[in-house]
Amino acid sequence: MTSIISARGLTKRYGRMVAVDHIDLEIPPGRIVGLIGPNGAGKTSALKAILGLATFDGELSVMGKNPSRDRAKLMEDVCFIADVAVLPRWIRVNQLLDVTEQIHSGFSRDTCMEYLAQTKITLNQKVKQLSKGMVAQLHLALVMAIDARLLVLDEPTLGLDILYRKQFYSSLLNDYFDEQRTILITTHQVEEVEHILTDLIFIQDGKIALDTSMEDVEQRYTELMVRPELATQARALKPLYERELFGRHIFLYDHADREQLEALGEIHTPSVADLFVATMKGGKS
Amino acid sequence: MNRLIALIRREYWENKGAFRTTPLVIGGIYIAFLLMSIFTTAHFDNEMYTFREAIRLLAEQTPEFRSTHGSEVLLGSSLFFTIVLAFVVFFYLLGALYDDRKDRSILFWKSLPASDTLTIASKLLSAMVLAPLLFWVIIVITQTIMAGIASLMVLSVGENPWTLFLSVVNPFKAWALLLVSYLAASIWFLPMYGWLLLVSSFAPRIPLLFAVLPPVVFAILQVWITFLETFTFNASLFGLIGEWVANSPAILTAQVHDGQGTLALGMPLTKDFDHAVTVSNILDRLFSLQMAGGLAVAAVFLAGALWLRHRATES
Repeated sequence: MTSIISARGLTKRYGRMVAVDHIDLEIPPGRIVGLIGPNGAGKTSALKAILGLATFDGELSVMGKNPSRDRAKLMEDVCFIADVAVLPRWIRVNQLLDVTEQIHSGFSRDTCMEYLAQTKITLNQKVKQLSKGMVAQLHLALVMAIDARLLVLDEPTLGLDILYRKQFYSSLLNDYFDEQRTILITTHQVEEVEHILTDLIFIQDGKIALDTSMEDVEQRYTELMVRPELATQARALKPLYERELFGRHIFLYDHADREQLEALGEIHTPSVADLFVATMKGGKS
Repeated sequence: MNRLIALIRREYWENKGAFRTTPLVIGGIYIAFLLMSIFTTAHFDNEMYTFREAIRLLAEQTPEFRSTHGSEVLLGSSLFFTIVLAFVVFFYLLGALYDDRKDRSILFWKSLPASDTLTIASKLLSAMVLAPLLFWVIIVITQTIMAGIASLMVLSVGENPWTLFLSVVNPFKAWALLLVSYLAASIWFLPMYGWLLLVSSFAPRIPLLFAVLPPVVFAILQVWITFLETFTFNASLFGLIGEWVANSPAILTAQVHDGQGTLALGMPLTKDFDHAVTVSNILDRLFSLQMAGGLAVAAVFLAGALWLRHRATES
């Protein structure tokens, strides 16, 4: 199967500032990819290039199209939520559904109504009358009712309460996602998405710091918790990162010998958040 | 095509206040004034003597006289609508590509499979066709209601409105003329519309300032330089824009024609075109050299607006 997104040397400059620095990417269909990076790492710049919202240098093809040139065509198969609360404030919910239905051939009004039925949103309300969380709910309902091959979510649950977040990710996984579809998510709440991701991309200073599948994460990385007296021994095995928690030393290793580590203490698969911190800090030093 | 219609409908929803409520309010004001003047007359003259006398004098005139002047009343009473329409279109275009950048809803609109070209086309068509059409419909309704009230008044004093004016004046001709002049003016003013869309697409803030200031500064410099040289006014941008308005196919003013005051296309200050209100004079303007030049300028501005729209989400 050909890639949904394919980039070679993708670069985005704002004047002298390089936001995205020669990135190579291959995202096949049927994946849920988390694009994770600190603020200002170039996540949004990369997404904008992918969505045809910004010009770029290098090669980039999204489902065989050049996003900058063919945005309108591309949007028949791509949906996105770029940041939060960008729905026009003057519009009524039913007008929003009308205009989306008429412009987007892949939009199903019935599906959208099903999602909306789980919320307190009514069709006659204007967007400006909705709370921030409800606007996000509305946008998510709209986007999930579109039959697209690529869904791009940039901080989709910002401003939502915990109940709806859980519900959102579970319906994303159960009702929306299938092997034909690809989802690209950026978020700061790494813990929330780590159980649904199939792939992980860390981005730092405009470069890709890590691009791996979740299975590989389990195979490659090991977290070791040891008592202080064994710390020196553990340090000798060249951990990626070290931190302290309640007097215990925690080390993170890439491609380590698990038996060797088990002799020193408890081992786990690291959480994405810990791996992220380790990669970011490790990359810096 | 469906997408274009959907986008124009979206413009209507967003601008209902300007496109629909505004002319409705003006229509309401016209009707209110008519009723007020009737009550005033009745209050001071409960025998309605002056009114009867006026009707008698009117009935003595020839049908041709009543027909011509009836049409003039219809067209003339649209003038206030026309001026307000100009303001509505001006501010609509100024915000058309600016408001969604300001509130960032452009990110939603760009997530729909509608090209930037289609978006700009929908905004331009809303200004050129939708707004004038809505104003025109409301003018027709207002004038019909007013004719109804006037007929009742005439009936109440025992005269026959049918023979007096209803059968004599052909309102459809006047209304058709008005609609043609509105649509022609939309084409005529395309260079201005293009400029406003360009500014709307470009202005980082306060589009009004960006729309008005550069031409004013440019024109002042021009006036100053020509003043130093020749003391002429026409060479400046002010003169050009003034001339453009004066030559426009919209019914804007009156002129004296064959010893009688009649309405005029544009302002009868220039000699480039015949200012009498006829369809052929309207078409003359559309097939003129000026129009060709104006369209070329409009094309440049619109291309600029499109180019900027494509890059509106860069940062």
